[in-house]
Amino acid sequence: MADTNNKQVVADIDRSLYDFKDVESEKDFYRMAEGLTEETVLKVSEEKNDPEWMRDFRLECLKLYNDIKLPDWGPSIEGLDMDKISSYVRHKSDMKGKWEDVPEDIKNTFERLGIPQAERESLAGVGAQYDSELVYHNVKDEVAAQGVIYTDLESALRGEYADMIKSHFMKLVPPTDHKFAALHGAVWSGGSFVYVPKGVKVDIPLQSYFRLNAAGAGQFEHTLIIVDEGADLHFIEGCSAPKYNVANLHAGCVELYVAKNARLRYSTIENWSKNMYNLNTKRAIVEENGIMEWVSGSFGSHTSYLYPMTILKGDNSKMEFTGITFAGKGQNLDTGAKVVHQGQHTSSVINTKSISKDGGIGTYRSSVIIQKTAKKAKASVSCDSLMLDSISRADTIPGMDIRTNDADVGHEAKIGRISDEAIFYLMSRGISEEDAKAMIVSGFANPVSKELPLEYAVEMNNLIKLEMSGNG
Amino acid sequence: MSNDLNMKVNVLPVLTYNFLHVNDSTLQISDFNISDKNAPLAKELPAGVTVEKAVPFAEAGEIFKKNNDRILAPIDGHVGPNGDTSARDKDQALRTGMGADVDGLMTSLGATVDIYTVEEGVKADKPIVISYDMKNGEASLSGQIIHAKKNSEVTVVIAYTSDNDASGFVGVSTRLFAADGAKINLVKTQLLGEGFVHFDDIGGACLSDGKIDLVTLELGGCKTLTGAYVNLAEKNTVFTSNMGYLVRGDHNLDINYVADHRGKKTEAGMQFKGVLMDNASKTFRGTIDFKKGSSGSVGDEQEDALLLSEDVVNKTMPVILCQEEDVEGRHGATIGELGEDLLFYMQTRGIDELEAKKIMIKARLDSVAGLIPDPEIKQKTLYYIQNIV
Repeated sequence: MADTNNKQVVADIDRSLYDFKDVESEKDFYRMAEGLTEETVLKVSEEKNDPEWMRDFRLECLKLYNDIKLPDWGPSIEGLDMDKISSYVRHKSDMKGKWEDVPEDIKNTFERLGIPQAERESLAGVGAQYDSELVYHNVKDEVAAQGVIYTDLESALRGEYADMIKSHFMKLVPPTDHKFAALHGAVWSGGSFVYVPKGVKVDIPLQSYFRLNAAGAGQFEHTLIIVDEGADLHFIEGCSAPKYNVANLHAGCVELYVAKNARLRYSTIENWSKNMYNLNTKRAIVEENGIMEWVSGSFGSHTSYLYPMTILKGDNSKMEFTGITFAGKGQNLDTGAKVVHQGQHTSSVINTKSISKDGGIGTYRSSVIIQKTAKKAKASVSCDSLMLDSISRADTIPGMDIRTNDADVGHEAKIGRISDEAIFYLMSRGISEEDAKAMIVSGFANPVSKELPLEYAVEMNNLIKLEMSGNG
Repeated sequence: MSNDLNMKVNVLPVLTYNFLHVNDSTLQISDFNISDKNAPLAKELPAGVTVEKAVPFAEAGEIFKKNNDRILAPIDGHVGPNGDTSARDKDQALRTGMGADVDGLMTSLGATVDIYTVEEGVKADKPIVISYDMKNGEASLSGQIIHAKKNSEVTVVIAYTSDNDASGFVGVSTRLFAADGAKINLVKTQLLGEGFVHFDDIGGACLSDGKIDLVTLELGGCKTLTGAYVNLAEKNTVFTSNMGYLVRGDHNLDINYVADHRGKKTEAGMQFKGVLMDNASKTFRGTIDFKKGSSGSVGDEQEDALLLSEDVVNKTMPVILCQEEDVEGRHGATIGELGEDLLFYMQTRGIDELEAKKIMIKARLDSVAGLIPDPEIKQKTLYYIQNIV
């Protein structure tokens, strides 16, 4: 029998799948000077050919950014120096609608990430952003024929949906929300706009993939999705970046509007490299009988602040958040969810799993707010944390604010380790300790992976295996 | 001399979103005079227990300072959690639930502390009973230290009472030191009048095999702040806590309890049962902190809050911090009104909704009041509950 005391030494993940860097020629790229000034912001605005209101909005956001303090409650972001971050990097060619027209070096990158293959096999449309700009955007003809709009935000800003963008852009996440929402407002670039018309059900998912390839740069894409009455959409977001020795910043913003009787599922597998500060803001508002579902896997980043928020505005609206966070060596991932119940008979379910290993810090942080108007609201929170060694941290910091008696709120949190008995049992069946641990962790993550489309569940399970074994 | 009071207390061990307004509480009172800076003495002392009276607060923490190397033994490889606030209270002789500002207040206003010492091996045959019987308009600031020497055991009952319509202020610091194998049972029941502001700051430290058991009832007063920080410094130490509360009118209750697991095989079990009525508000912070090295430890906190009016505000922050693999931490909360199934069951037995609510309030509070060992104070508390219901 194997010696159970001979503990497996778990190495860091081999990220070659994501960390590769294609040889790029600097002359093909336009890169704005590092730092954040009024001049930088105006330059971004000029590059984007912004309408006047957007240019003024950016300048207003810059003022807010300078005024708002850093949060005092989360992981340290001292290593992030905005004077060393370039807010805007783009390839000199324009966005393409045909894959074969995308520049070779960028195409290679996305080919290696499997994006075009995924598009062919399982997606209704794809947007691919490389650094600050979308380089490819395409939606299948049959989906477009249903009236579904899936385009880059800049085009939408100047086209027939301009008024819709103006009335929704940063209304759900106002730039006053926090320092990095203000930063986003000042220098946002790229991202997607999706509009699903009334009653249209998009059977297969749309996907946006964000790749930040440049060192010492920021990515500030904005995703705006409006799912109209009775419509249905699954949107998938993927993110990755190669690893550099300098800090990179991702301060994206996602605003989701779910109308009456509509449903939106928003899935993310985030696998930024471990020099990334991921300070992303995601928020959804749900009208009567609407359903918002979040599936969130956080594996990458050096530091994360990520708490997708749902406002259950309409009566009978529902939200479900399923998330997993895997914090490994050198990572401080502060993740969770926020929900505000406003309407009557609203319900929310938050179910999260967190794994900490090799000195990683995994923090589950949440807030559940039941406003006085939310009669008969139901909220249920379950957060489990798994510690894989004693040099890591796993903290749970959930908050609840309940302002009506006519609500039902339940909360459960558990923290612990893989039981010796479970490992012993699997080993007695001929499974190695390493495989037994990976198996148990995959089982722990199962409630999340089962919510993902098969291809993405496989990717997530592979990421867990890589994290566990280090054999990549 | 009149004073203005402005203290930041009950600071959460880790900060979180500011919009929740749970990171700390403020106790502000303008223009108030402390009429009594000494704690009332126990009516009688059990054999083997001595008391040193009216020791100035600043001089009273010697026992903790002397044992500092055991209470706060350095932890190799300790990494603080995100938003760590521990530095704020690092100068306290013993960390308490409400924190350093209470120590500052006690020292600056000249409050005194009675130090009760239980001799080694003594199992006190009856409880030490201390009664704060407050009159209208009185303001009292004082404290106790309970020092249970090796393998001793003692029960201390502290009661706060006044007329129902009385107003005033009672601030109390109670610090506990359970040496190796010692056990301290601390029971506090607060039955103050509707105009009383009350704070109760508790700190505790257990050395090897030491135990602290807290039973607290917060039933009166218009503004009550209470905190307990128990340091399970060494192996096989245990902290148990049972709190019952009732908050009515526009009153406010603010709680901050922390179990700090440092030793191996430590145990904490904290239960909070309560009822909010009318426009009442309550903030509960409960933290289980598994420090590196606390292998084999178990921590559990459960909250059961019954909300009986649509105008109540209930905030709950159940925190688990963990830097140790081999531990088990759990938290559960049930917050809301009486379940429809229970009400239906009661109604099938001929009990209407109002009566059912009374039964459930009484059941919650009586279950904690039943743990009071002193028959007179237990009776007084049960009578108080009966009257409210």
